[in-house]
Amino acid sequence: MDTIVHNGLWERIEGMFLTVIEQGHGSLALVFLIGVIFGGIIQYTRVDKFEKIAGFAMLKDTIVPKMLFLAVGLTSIGLYFMIEAGGAHYHIKPVMWQGLIIGGTLFGIAMAILGKCPGTGPISIAEGRIDVLVGAIGGLLGGLLFTLYYDDIFKPLMGESAGKMILTDFFKGHEHTVVLVYGIVITLIAIAIPKVEMFDEADLCQLPDDQRPDKS
Amino acid sequence: MARLPWWMGGILMSMLLLLTFSIFGADRPIGASTYVPYFAGVIFDLDPEKYSYLKHIENPGAWEGVMLLGALFGGFVTSVFITKSFRISFIPSGWKQYKNHSVLSRLLWSFFSGFLMIIGARLAGGCTSGHFMSGMSQMAISSMIFGGVVLVVVIVTGRLFYNVKEK
Repeated sequence: MDTIVHNGLWERIEGMFLTVIEQGHGSLALVFLIGVIFGGIIQYTRVDKFEKIAGFAMLKDTIVPKMLFLAVGLTSIGLYFMIEAGGAHYHIKPVMWQGLIIGGTLFGIAMAILGKCPGTGPISIAEGRIDVLVGAIGGLLGGLLFTLYYDDIFKPLMGESAGKMILTDFFKGHEHTVVLVYGIVITLIAIAIPKVEMFDEADLCQLPDDQRPDKS
Repeated sequence: MARLPWWMGGILMSMLLLLTFSIFGADRPIGASTYVPYFAGVIFDLDPEKYSYLKHIENPGAWEGVMLLGALFGGFVTSVFITKSFRISFIPSGWKQYKNHSVLSRLLWSFFSGFLMIIGARLAGGCTSGHFMSGMSQMAISSMIFGGVVLVVVIVTGRLFYNVKEK
């Protein structure tokens, strides 16, 4: 029995690699590399820390929103013109009011308590955080439950789709202005949010004094 | 430099998003929550032919699964060699300062919130990466609704859950 399960698992993991190779969204190496850079940026800026995310929930740290808003502001302008030039495509998620509000509420509660999100959690596990590993086991069970009861419970809970909409749909004829204003306003928000930081001595005591962000 | 400033992080993340969106990159957004039910399907050996949701997420789930392996590797290497933050730990300093000193309490809350987080992300169809970063960069209305709800709920929960006044 054990060996059957074991073989099944390896086949499934192999299947994951094959699915990525076949679906044409970048080579296997590129997708892995995107992950490496993603993990590197998050670890290097330390935005995976409990003190950064739960710290924001307590309004004692604002690095996460500053970095997020800046990334969104810059990307929105670049992406719009890339799409216009045919160098990228839109991948919009539909407006499903019930799912967004119920899901966003559960997600927000969980993010404040865990002090991670699904993207930053694995980076914390990679630096040895056992509490986040336990959170990931909870997450796997959540994913299991969602899969098992998708048709019966969760899909109806998400409600009807009101369609895929983007901001420029409401300003026909003024797309360029809207994109520029949107991108600049979001970037300015990132700069305007007052910089507050919660430092973690246990994290910084490994560094020489001249490299510590709290002492420079 | 052992820490990147927030503005450098924002610029680098923006470049990574543009590369991923570009047809010369992956021609898709970055997402980081679909891999969880995908891995649940792999670990518990669920048949995608039997569960419509697994069929539905087969491609994005696998893509994010491989990206996640990269993220684990990148996070590990950076934490060992650059940020020097790698160590086995059970309870964050901020939890000790604003909640309690109990490892059991932290682990139970982690398990519970991890569970809630994935249910929430899958109901909403995305997380901080898929909705907030990738979605709002495309000016998607759904992502703005999600972002607004999450911002408010995070701050309210932070105020109620932690002893914010204690220093």
